[in-house]
Amino acid sequence: MSRTVAETNQRKMHSYYDYSLLFLILFLVCFGLVMIYSTSSYNAQRLYKDPMHFLTRQALFAGAGIMVMLFVSKIDYHIYVKSLPIIKLKPITILYFLCLSLQTYVLIFGNATKGSKRWIDLGSLGRFQPSELTKILVIVFTAYIVNLAPKKLDKFSGFIRVCLFIAPLLGLIVIENLSTAIIISVILVSICFVASKKKAYFITSGLMLVGLGLIFIFCFNSYRSDRIDAWLNVETADNGYQILQGLYAIASGGVFGKGLGESMQKLGFIPESHNDMIFSVICEELGLFGAFALILLFVLLIWRIFIIAINATDLYGGLIATGVLAHIAIQVLINIAVVTNTIPSTGNTLPFISYGGSSVMVILFEMGIVLSVSNQIKGEK
Amino acid sequence: MARNRTYNKRNALIVVVIVIIAAFGLTCRLGYLMIFKSEEYAARAEALHERERVIKAERGSIYDAKGTLIATNKPVCTISVIHAQITEPERVISILSDLLGLSDEKVRKRVEKVSSIERIKSNVDKEIADKIREYDLDGVMVDEDYKRYYPYETLASKVIGFTGSDNQGIIGLEVQYDQFLKGIDGTILTLTTAYGVEIENAAEDRIEPVAGNDLYISLDVNIQQYAEQAAKKVMEAKSANNVKLIVMNPQNGAIYAMVNVPEFNLNDPYTLIDEIADDYAGETLSNEKMNELLNGMWRNACISDTYEPGSTFKIITATAALEEGVVKLTDTFYCPGYKKVEDRIIRCHKAGGHGSETFVEGIKNSCNPVFMEIGARVGVERMYYYFDRLGLFVKSGIDLPGEANSIMHKMDNVGAVELATMSFGQSFQITPLQLLKAASAVVNGGTLVTPHFGVEIQSSDGTSIKALDYPTTEGAVSKETSETMKQLLEAVVAEGTGKRAYLPGFRIGGKTATSEKLPRSSNKYISSFIGFAPANNPQVIAMVLIDEPTGIYYGGTIAAPVISELFDNILPYLGIEESYTETEIKEYNIGSFTVPDFVGKTKEEVKELLKIYDFGQLYPTGEGNIVTEQFPLPGETVDKDSVLILYYD
Repeated sequence: MSRTVAETNQRKMHSYYDYSLLFLILFLVCFGLVMIYSTSSYNAQRLYKDPMHFLTRQALFAGAGIMVMLFVSKIDYHIYVKSLPIIKLKPITILYFLCLSLQTYVLIFGNATKGSKRWIDLGSLGRFQPSELTKILVIVFTAYIVNLAPKKLDKFSGFIRVCLFIAPLLGLIVIENLSTAIIISVILVSICFVASKKKAYFITSGLMLVGLGLIFIFCFNSYRSDRIDAWLNVETADNGYQILQGLYAIASGGVFGKGLGESMQKLGFIPESHNDMIFSVICEELGLFGAFALILLFVLLIWRIFIIAINATDLYGGLIATGVLAHIAIQVLINIAVVTNTIPSTGNTLPFISYGGSSVMVILFEMGIVLSVSNQIKGEK
Repeated sequence: MARNRTYNKRNALIVVVIVIIAAFGLTCRLGYLMIFKSEEYAARAEALHERERVIKAERGSIYDAKGTLIATNKPVCTISVIHAQITEPERVISILSDLLGLSDEKVRKRVEKVSSIERIKSNVDKEIADKIREYDLDGVMVDEDYKRYYPYETLASKVIGFTGSDNQGIIGLEVQYDQFLKGIDGTILTLTTAYGVEIENAAEDRIEPVAGNDLYISLDVNIQQYAEQAAKKVMEAKSANNVKLIVMNPQNGAIYAMVNVPEFNLNDPYTLIDEIADDYAGETLSNEKMNELLNGMWRNACISDTYEPGSTFKIITATAALEEGVVKLTDTFYCPGYKKVEDRIIRCHKAGGHGSETFVEGIKNSCNPVFMEIGARVGVERMYYYFDRLGLFVKSGIDLPGEANSIMHKMDNVGAVELATMSFGQSFQITPLQLLKAASAVVNGGTLVTPHFGVEIQSSDGTSIKALDYPTTEGAVSKETSETMKQLLEAVVAEGTGKRAYLPGFRIGGKTATSEKLPRSSNKYISSFIGFAPANNPQVIAMVLIDEPTGIYYGGTIAAPVISELFDNILPYLGIEESYTETEIKEYNIGSFTVPDFVGKTKEEVKELLKIYDFGQLYPTGEGNIVTEQFPLPGETVDKDSVLILYYD
C-alpha cells in the first residue's frame, strides 16, 4: 500500500460536494435555454427582428446565475445568520428589512403589468421582481428562526410565532401576487413541518387555511373568481383563451411530440409562450415522453435535495435544503397543474426553464445554498 | 446549532413523498390529455392553424358553330406585398411604381403599411407580372388569376353575356350555362401563424380545381357579323332607336345570329355605351339610375320585350284560316279601305282600299279587311286553338335568361272588334322570338321547334359531356297548309309588299309589317320583316325589327331590304346555291362568257366587239389606238357586266 493512513483519513473526511445535483441543475438550465430559443424565436423575430433576443438575455442571466451559484456554494451557509463584525447585524436581518422595504416600494412605485404591480424597472437590466428575493429570504430566515428553538414548534403557538415573523412580508405580497404568496406559505409550512415533532395542528390549520383561501378567492376578488370561471369552463370562458391554447398544444403533442422546434401553438397562438406556458410547448414538441422525462428530472433534483436535507450536518442546513426543495417542488407542481388546467390559472414560472432573469437567478442562488449545505457534509465515501 | 434529528429526516421524507405523489398525479393528467384528448384537441388546434385559400377553377370557353372562340379567359395577376417580408422597401417601391404605372406615393403607402398582406394592383397583365417576378423581390407576391375575355368585344353581347368578379355569369349564356362553365374551385389548406402569416414549406393539403366545361353554340360569328353590320347600317340610316335581328334555322330552331344594336362591349360591361351616355352627358348619375341604365343596356330585347307584331302576324291568321278550311286561295274579297265591325270602322292601311281581290292578292297587299274577314270566319275559339298550337301562349323556351311571355286577351273578353284587330296583329303583344318560332313552324312543314343556342357541352380535353337537345312538336300545322303558306309568302316577296326583299337567284318568302307603337297617337312605328329562304325548303329564317325609324317607316320599304342584303351575304355562306329562272337571267343579265382577245385591236374594232359581249364598265388607259394589254385575260370566263380594262399604246 502506497497510501498512508493520514492520507486515507484525509480522503475519507474530505468535503462532500453533490456533483450529481450540480449536473442536474446545469442540464435543466441548458434544456431551459434550448426551449426558450424554440418558443421565443418567432415572437422575438416579430417584435425585435432578432430571433435570439430572448435567448441572449436569458443566457446572460443563466450564466451569471451559475457563477453566483458556484460562488454561493463555496460560502458557509452559516455566515448569513452570524453577526457581521463591524455593524453588529446579521446579514439575514438586513435582508429581511431590505425585502420589506422593496415590497413596500413596489406596491407604491411598481411597474404595473397586466394590472399587477410586481416589478421594479431597472432600465437596461430589465425588471426585477422583489418577491423573488423574498423567496430566498423566507427560506433562510424561517430555517434560522426555527433553528433557534426547534422544540417550540411542537406546539401550535411555536408555529404561530414563526408565522408572525413572516407575516409582514406575506401580507405585502398577497395584495398583488397570490401565487407567490402561496409559494412562500408552502415554503414556510414545509420548513415548520419538517422541524416539528407533532403533526396534528398542521392538518387542522392546513384545512382552515384552505377554507379561508377559498372564501377569499370566491368572495372578495372578482379578478380571481374570473380565473375560477375560466378554469371550470376553459372552452367557453373569455379569459380561458391562454389555457385553452396551452391545452391544444399539450394535446396535439401526443405521445412522441411534433419534434423540437415544430410547435404550431408557439406561433402567436399562446401569448408569451416562453414564459409561464413554456411547459405546454415542451409537451407539444417533445410529447408525453419528453414531458415525463422533464418531470422525472425535477423529481430527481428534488430527491437529491432531499438527500442533502437529511444528511445535512445540522438542523439549520437541513431546513434550508427543505425550504429550497419545497420552493422548487411547489413551483413545478403549480406550473404543470396550471398548464394542464388541473387548478385555476395563476402566474407562476417553471423553475430553470421559463424565461425570466430574476427567476432563474434566484433559483440558482438557492441551488448555491443547497450545494453549500452539501459541501458541509463530511463525506465518508 | 440544533441537530438534524431522525424525525426531521422522516418529516422531510413525508414532504418528498407528497411531492412525488403530486408529480405522479400530474403525469397521469398529462397522459390523459396527451393520449385520450390528443385527437380531439389536435384537430381543434389544426382548425385554428389552417387557412383555406381558394384556387379559382378556370371557366369554360364558349365556341361558335364553326369552333371560333367567342368567350375565354385571359391570365391576369394580382400583385401584393407582405410588409413583414420586405427587405428592400425602396427598391420594391421604385420597381412596382415603374412597372405598374402607379404613382410613387401610392405604392409607398401600401408598402409601408403595417399589415399582413396589402394588395397593390389586380388585373395586371401576365407579361408585366412575369417581369416583376423576375426581380425576385422579397415580400412581393404575384398571384395568378383568370379574367373573362371576349375576343369579339361587342359581338352578340346581349346573347353571350358576361361574368362578375366571382366568376359567375351575370347575363346571357354565361348565366344559362353557368353550372357547366364555372367548374369546381379548388382549395389550398395552408398553415398560418396567429397573425395570419402563411408558414412556408409547411405541409399543405391541396384540392385541385376542376376546370369548367366548354360550351358550343349554334351562333355563327360570320353570320352574326353580317347581321350586325346590316342592322347597324339601317339603324344609322333611319336614326332608329335600336334594331333587332334574329337569324335562325327554321328546321331545328338553332339560332345563327341574334342582334340587338346598339351592342355593348363585353370586356367593359359597366361602362355605358355612347348611345346611352350621350343622353346623360354632363349629368352625374345616381347609383340607382346608373343601375337602371346598365340593365337597360344589357337587356336582350329580342326575347325580353313584347310588341304588337302587326302585319307579320297575318302569317298566323292565314295559317289558322287555311287549317280550318274557311278560306280558299281563290276566294274573292272586297276592300273599300275599311271594314265595319260591330259599330267600329277599322281602316285598311291603303286609304282608297284595294277593291276586289282574291285571298292571294289580299296577302300580297297585306290587306287588313281580308284578314278581319277570315279571322271572323275562324272565330275566337279556333283562333286561340291555333295560337296555342303555335306556342304563342308560352315562352319560346330559348336557353337564355329573362325571356318574356306574350300578353293576350282572355278568350272570354275577345269580342268581334278584338278578334278583328288581332287578325292583323294588333291589341296583343308577343316577343319577336315567339313570332319567329311560330312562323318557323308554319314554313318548315308544321314542326314547332325550340329556338336555342346551346349545341354541346364538352370538357376541356374535348370529350363530349352532354349533347343538348330541345323539345319539338310535330304537326303543329298540317303539311298542306305549310306548303300553301310557303307559296303565299314567296308571292309576297316576288310580287307583293315584300318585293324589296327579293334577291335574284334565290327563292325567298316573307311578310312585312309596320306596327304602330302605343299609344297610337305618338306616331311611332316598328318596321319589321320576316323572311326565309329557300322558299320551297326553308333553311334559314330571319326577322328584323327597326324601332322608331325616322322618315319612311314602312316595313316593306325599309325592313325588307335589310333581310335581302343579309341573305345576299349569308345564303352562299350557308351553302344555298343560286339558281336563276329564265326571266331572272334576262332581267338581271345573268350568265357568263369567255373573254375575247383584244390585244392588237384598234379602238374601232373594240367598239364592235363590245356590242357582242356583255361587259359592264370599260376602263381604257393610254393615249394610243392599239390595245397592248387587257384585263381580264383572253380565254377567262367572267360574269356578265364584269369590268374590262384595256391598255392602249
